[in-house]
Amino acid sequence: MPWHRRLVQALLYGNNVDRDRKARARLGLAMLGFALIYGTIACKLVLFAAVPDSHAERHAGAGDAVATARPDILDRNGEILATDVKRPSLFAEPRRVIDVDEAIELLTAVMPDLDTTELRQRLGGKRGFAWLKREITPQQQAEVKRLGVPGIGFLTENKRIYPDGPEASHVLGYVNVDNTGVAGIENWLDAQGLADLHRAGFASDRQQEPVELALDLRVQHALRDELIAAKDKYKAKASAGLVYAVRTGEVVAMASEPDYDPNNPRQALDKDRVNRLTYGLYEMGSTFKAFTVAMALDSGRYTLNSMFDARAPLHYGRFAINDYHAQRRMLSTSEVFTYSSNIGAALMARSLGITAHQAFLRKMGQLDQLKTELPESRKPMVPSHWAEVNTVTISFGHGLSVAPLQAVMGVAALMNGGYLIPPTFLKRSEEQARALAKPVIKPQTSVMMRYLMRLNAEKGTATKADVPGYYVGAKTGTAEKVFSGHYVKTKLMTDVMAVLPADHPRYLILIMLDEPQAIPETHGFATSGWNAVPVAAKVISRVAPLLGIAPRFDLPPADRFILAAAKPTQ
Amino acid sequence: MRFLHLIVVAALVSAAAYVYKVKFDSALQAERVAKLTADLAHERDAIASLRAEWAQLDNPTRIQGLAERHLKLKPIDATQFDDLAHLPDRPAPPPDIDDPIGAMIDQVPTSSIGTNGAAR
Repeated sequence: MPWHRRLVQALLYGNNVDRDRKARARLGLAMLGFALIYGTIACKLVLFAAVPDSHAERHAGAGDAVATARPDILDRNGEILATDVKRPSLFAEPRRVIDVDEAIELLTAVMPDLDTTELRQRLGGKRGFAWLKREITPQQQAEVKRLGVPGIGFLTENKRIYPDGPEASHVLGYVNVDNTGVAGIENWLDAQGLADLHRAGFASDRQQEPVELALDLRVQHALRDELIAAKDKYKAKASAGLVYAVRTGEVVAMASEPDYDPNNPRQALDKDRVNRLTYGLYEMGSTFKAFTVAMALDSGRYTLNSMFDARAPLHYGRFAINDYHAQRRMLSTSEVFTYSSNIGAALMARSLGITAHQAFLRKMGQLDQLKTELPESRKPMVPSHWAEVNTVTISFGHGLSVAPLQAVMGVAALMNGGYLIPPTFLKRSEEQARALAKPVIKPQTSVMMRYLMRLNAEKGTATKADVPGYYVGAKTGTAEKVFSGHYVKTKLMTDVMAVLPADHPRYLILIMLDEPQAIPETHGFATSGWNAVPVAAKVISRVAPLLGIAPRFDLPPADRFILAAAKPTQ
Repeated sequence: MRFLHLIVVAALVSAAAYVYKVKFDSALQAERVAKLTADLAHERDAIASLRAEWAQLDNPTRIQGLAERHLKLKPIDATQFDDLAHLPDRPAPPPDIDDPIGAMIDQVPTSSIGTNGAAR
C-alpha cells in the first residue's frame, strides 16, 4: 500500500480496521432495509385486497349522535300508538368545510330558519362532527345536495311518530330530539335497557319487538271524548278518567284532560297538563267510604244490618261532622253506604281503632307510593301525626290524599273477590295477574261490597250511573278542596267509581271532575251525582260494547241477584 | 429440467388466475348482499312510514269527525244487542227437486189459473 493511501486510511478510519468486513456489514444492513420496505408494501397490498373498503370510519363519530330506534308501541288490539319513521338530518364536518362564509350563505338560502350566528359557531371549530339541523324534509335534502357544499352530509335518523296525537299522551309520554324517552311508557322503555343498548350502539336498527300495552285505543278515545265534553259542559278546570280491568289490574284506558300532543310536547311541562291519575294527589271523598265499610264488614264485628247512630253530628273540637244527605236517624251499614253518611263511616272507623284503620289502608295499598311503569308517581300525603280525628275524617275520604289510580287499585280489590293486584299499563293475562295477586279481604266481604255498590246504583247516590243492561254498581264522592288550610265549599272535586257488571265485575271506571260548576241542567248542584255520575253513564254506554260486555235485561235487584246467589257457596 | 420449469410456471399462472376469479366473484356476491340488505332496510322503512300513515288515517278522532259529518249513524244502544240464542231456527231447506219452477206451477191449483184467465 503506498504511503499516502495508508495515511488517508489512518486519518479516516484508524489503523486496525478491516475495511472488507465493514463493507460486508453495510451491504447486509442495506439488504435488510430493502427487505423490510418491500415486505411492508406486500403486507399492505394483501390488506387492501382482503379488507373491503368502507366509509364506516366517516360515520363513526356520528353513530353515537344518531337518534335511537325505538320499538313500536301497540295497543291491546295491535293498533299502532307510537312508531319510528326515518328522516334525514343535516350534519357538517367542520374540519372539511373549506369556506365557512360561503357554506353559511348557501345553507341559509335553502333553509331560512337556520340561525346564522349559531351556524357560524358550529361550523367554525375544528371538530369532526356537528349537527346543523335535525329532521329536515326530503325536498330540503335534495336542495342541499344540489348546493354541493363540501363537508356537509346527511344521516337518516329515526323520528318518533304518534299517529293518534294527544289520544293516549299521558300513558305514552314522549321523547326528546335524540329519541330518548322523557315521560310515560317511553321513559320506562329506556329504563328497561334500551338506553344501554343505544349506548353500546346496537339500537340503530328498527327490528325490535313491539311493546304491547293494556290500552284499548277505541275505549281510550271514547273515554277521552266524553271527558273533554264533560270538562266543557260543567266548566271544570280538569277532568280525568280511567277504565280498569279488575281481574288483571290492566289500565284499559286512562285520560287526564287537559293533555298534550306527544308529537309536539312543548305543552307537556305545563303544570296544568300533568297526569292527574298517577301524579295528582286527591282527597277522594266518599268513594273512600268503600274502604271503611269493607274494613268494618271484614273485621267480622259488623254485618250489613248493624245499626249506627246518625241522629246527631259528631263534634271534634271546632269540627262538626255532618251528613250531606242527612237522615237524622239510626242507619244500617248498607244505608250508611247508600246515603253516604259521614257520621256512620266515622263511627265505624272509630270503633275499630286507629291501628286497625291504618293497617287496613296500608294493606289496601293506600299509604305507600304506587309504583307502575309510568315514572310520574307521587307518595300519598298521609297525616304525620295520625290521631283519632284523622281516622274519623279519612273514613269518609278527607285528610288523606292519594293518587286516583291507587284508590282504583284498592276498590278493584274490594270488587274482584278480595285480591290486590298491582296495576299495569302493559298487557297482562289473568294467570299472570293471579300470580301477583295478594288476598286482602275475605271473598264474602267482596260479595257484600259488590251488593252495596249495586244497591247504591239502584237507590243510592249513583242512580244516574245505572245504564240499563249493564248492571252497574257505583259509589260517588265529592270532596271540598283545600285552599290555604281551609276546605272551600264552592271548590269541589267530584268523582265516581262504577263497576260493571256488579254481579261479576270485569271493569272499574273512574271519572273525576276538578271544580265542576253548577249549571241549569243540574239545578244548581255541583256534587258528584249531578256531574261525574252522568258522565260515567255516558262512558259506560259507549265503552261497554267495546269491552265485550253483553247487555242483560230484567235482572233481579241486588239483594236477590248478588247476596242470595253468593250464599250457597259459603 | 426446462420442461419442469414450464409446468411450474403454467401452474403458477393458472393458480393466480383462479384466485383472481374467486376473489372477483366473492366481491360481486358481497356487493349483491349489501344491495339486498340496503333494499330490505329501505322497504322496511317504507312499510313503517306507510303503517304510520295508516294509523294516522285510522285514528278514532278523525273517523269520528268524518262519521259525524257524513253519516247518519248513531252510537249503538244496549237494547240493540241480542243473543245468538234468540235467533230463529234456520228454515227447513226446500225439497230437492230437478225442476223447481215446474214444481211451483204444479202446486198452483189448476182451477185458479182457469178463473184468472176467465176474469181477464
